[in-house]
Amino acid sequence: MTLEKAYILLGILVFLMGLLGVIVRKNLITILVSTEIMLNGVNLVLVAVDRYLGNVEGQIFALFVLTVAAAEVAVGLGLVVSIFRLRGYEGSSEVVHLRD
Amino acid sequence: MDWLIFGVLSLWLLISVGGAVLVKNPIHSILFFLSAVLATAGLFLALGAELLAGLQIIIYAVAIVVFYVLVITTIPWEKVKRFEGVYKKELIFGVPLLLLVFAMIAYGIYRGKLHDPAIMKADSVRDLGKTLFTSYLFPFEVASVILLVAMIGAILLGRKEE
Repeated sequence: MTLEKAYILLGILVFLMGLLGVIVRKNLITILVSTEIMLNGVNLVLVAVDRYLGNVEGQIFALFVLTVAAAEVAVGLGLVVSIFRLRGYEGSSEVVHLRD
Repeated sequence: MDWLIFGVLSLWLLISVGGAVLVKNPIHSILFFLSAVLATAGLFLALGAELLAGLQIIIYAVAIVVFYVLVITTIPWEKVKRFEGVYKKELIFGVPLLLLVFAMIAYGIYRGKLHDPAIMKADSVRDLGKTLFTSYLFPFEVASVILLVAMIGAILLGRKEE
């Protein structure tokens, strides 16, 4: 059990906890927060493997993941606000129709 | 010493992530997420990725968390209070399933052999910049287009219908 394996296991655990958050949370905004936690776990694994191999490509991929996370939070929060404005609620159990 | 830093930061990270997933109030959840982001930046520093640690703090801890809080302030609070907390049944079924998945992945990683570790580079920021602006220049430009499209999409989605 080396240190790099411990880092990889920590990243996977953070990813799975974010997935649990996506499954169990009721509020749409906290579901988005959970997806950000999943992306953090992916970044951690990428940087850990990158250090293990001695390259910088993993850090570049993590940088692109950061970019995608910023874009995702802008679009996702816009969607949440427009769902709230159109339908008047924001519980994940009530958003079950694509359109009506 | 490496193990000590890893232990402290990983414990901090796991407590923060657990709080962000399970705590009831959305604002508290976002604050736990901020704590998790800071712990992740510390882990990046411990791994020798200084540029990513800085970007993590600038992008996540400043931009994204502030954006979440601003969006929550635009929504009436009693509507937020109607749907807070977690689904109990999904929690009861989800935790053992994900623990099982984690146990299988952890067994695979524990038994598996990784490639021999290379020599740690002294100046990773300079190498990262050189590689990013030579080999990965086109994906870098595409990322800027993605950000532009996301900005236009967010403006379109957030606009009031006439």
